Amino acid sequence: MDPNPASASRLPDAHGFLDRVIEQLRVLKSPQKDTLVSVLEYLSDHIRMTRSEISALRQEGGNQQLFGNTADELEEIVSETARAANNIMDAAETIESVAATLDAPANAALTDAVTKIYEASAFQDITGQRITKVVRVLQTLETKLASLMEAFGPEQVLAECALLQGDQALLNGPQLKKTASSQSDIDALFETLG
Amino acid sequence: MSLNKNMRVVIVDDYTTMLRILRNLLRQLELCNVEEATDGDTAFHLIQKTPPDLIISDWNMAPVTGLDLLRRVRGDAKLKHIPFIMVTAESKTENVIAAKQAGVSNYIVKPFNADTLRAKIASVCGVMA
Repeated sequence: MDPNPASASRLPDAHGFLDRVIEQLRVLKSPQKDTLVSVLEYLSDHIRMTRSEISALRQEGGNQQLFGNTADELEEIVSETARAANNIMDAAETIESVAATLDAPANAALTDAVTKIYEASAFQDITGQRITKVVRVLQTLETKLASLMEAFGPEQVLAECALLQGDQALLNGPQLKKTASSQSDIDALFETLG
Repeated sequence: MSLNKNMRVVIVDDYTTMLRILRNLLRQLELCNVEEATDGDTAFHLIQKTPPDLIISDWNMAPVTGLDLLRRVRGDAKLKHIPFIMVTAESKTENVIAAKQAGVSNYIVKPFNADTLRAKIASVCGVMA
């Protein structure tokens, strides 16, 4: 048996190592061994369960396909909304050009309405950014799951979970409505910064 | 005093829909001398080639972000005086502080309306809204 558990970084090796430790403990005569053996057996059972759950995920068509399809669907939403927003703006631009030929009050009323359409069309940019953020999360999950399938190294998981720093930490995308700053919040903050 | 209708504006956003919205809203302000770029790198070359009177840029773009673009502009002696408005969905306090420290002239949070855009342009161009 390999006496160094650190070298058994792959899950099947580590699990095999643990089972062998349990076997060796069982033959000892010490009365204190029972508690330790039951704790190790508990751990061993959980590792076995985790392995079979990960294997089951792999058998269900593969995580790559599962995440890949979901990301594709989301990216399709971005394309569809972009197409819709452009169609809406085509119509708005036509209305605006026709409005220019009308009398002043009618022109002003239509131009006002068209402005509101332009403003509202920003939904595509906002939803697009949110969806892109979700796609990135999916890609991260996909990478993590692939790592889990490959090995069970805690250092690797910790490294992947490392917090983003510097300018990268400032790329958060749109905030949720309940936590987002308003334009007046931004203006107030901007003023205080001199 | 009103906006100089001939001023040249460079708008930068990786979403072409947003570029179209900005262009239309600027046209309503009678600002028709508008050039656009979909990333920070292209924008910087455009700005270097012919310095505009105003830059309106998104933040969240890759690989060169709006913040990177702002720093490049402020780091260039020939360009550093150009008013730069950040129009972004990034609305956290640390974002506004970082932009301010990098020398942004004003900051608009998405989604925005035409009045806000008009007011901020007027403000950075030194005219009454």
